Amino acid sequence: MDISELKKQSDLSYNIAIAKRNALEKTQARLVLVYNGHVFRADPQTINLVKTLGDIGISPIYILDTNSNPVEISDGKQFLQALIARNQEAISSYHQMSKTFANRND
Amino acid sequence: MTKGILLFCFDTADTQYHKILERCVALIKKNLKLEITVVTNFQTFRKINPLGFVNYKFIEPELGNKKAGKEWNNVDRHMAYELSPYDTTLVMDIDYFPFTDNLKQLLDTDYDFLVSKHAHDLSGRNSFDQRRWSMIDMVWATVFVFRKGKKAKRIFDTLKYVKNNYRYFVDMYRIFDKSFRNDYAFAIALQQANGFVEYDTVPLKISTLPPDCRVVQFTETGIAWQYQDQISYIENHDVHVLSKEVADV
Repeated sequence: MDISELKKQSDLSYNIAIAKRNALEKTQARLVLVYNGHVFRADPQTINLVKTLGDIGISPIYILDTNSNPVEISDGKQFLQALIARNQEAISSYHQMSKTFANRND
Repeated sequence: MTKGILLFCFDTADTQYHKILERCVALIKKNLKLEITVVTNFQTFRKINPLGFVNYKFIEPELGNKKAGKEWNNVDRHMAYELSPYDTTLVMDIDYFPFTDNLKQLLDTDYDFLVSKHAHDLSGRNSFDQRRWSMIDMVWATVFVFRKGKKAKRIFDTLKYVKNNYRYFVDMYRIFDKSFRNDYAFAIALQQANGFVEYDTVPLKISTLPPDCRVVQFTETGIAWQYQDQISYIENHDVHVLSKEVADV
């Protein structure tokens, strides 16, 4: 590989890395969910907690929002659905985008 | 409960901010679908193309502040509480382009005041790590939400006090940039009004293009920019553009 080809590949990899970082940030922004007047993240930790509490029959559930304020959620099932819907919307969009990164690197 | 967006827009000798406003309003109408009130002066208002249903409030901006040697009419943000006709208000810089509806949900919270503490550098250089430039965490007053009430009023009253004594606070908090900056004024006011303890924030990073990134394309869904010899783009994500040349793209 000559030096110009190396530079080209290096630039391309750098561009893809930045695009990936930005796509991840976009995903993080989309994971923010307002529910019951409070701000949450539709991340695996929140989803798992809400699902676990629901599975063992706790209702209403009490959890912390992103500012560590306690929140009472009367309908845990509905909250879980909202969290999962937002999580999958954000991650599937990121997944679509990551395919374009792979194509650019071919 | 009324909800809406408050924007400030004043043309200067160097920058036709009204052109940036036109772009911002179009995106708000498309993605956020909230009522808009623009705070401006008559000279700027005369140049704004018809934007559909938008409320206007006229004030004369306080002059004297500068950024990079250029006129910068950004000092009037402390009047947002009095100027907003809404119970819950989203205040946005006009160079923040909402390509999504992400912000809309923030008007449905129980918080009295929400602001972000972090920015994401879209050019990948982490150039907004402001902690090094002061002894206080900066907030990004680019976007904030407040709900009218005692607590928000207290924050804005403190903000006015900070603004009137800004030189003192700049020295006290050892802020490197001596010109008036809303980001620091809000950070100081929030810290003082909250008794020097943590306050509620939005877990969003303000995705920002540094001023040395030149916007080369602006569409309904996204933005492309050039930094050195690289061209990058992002779609369906809110972007704060610091280069005022975006007015002419």
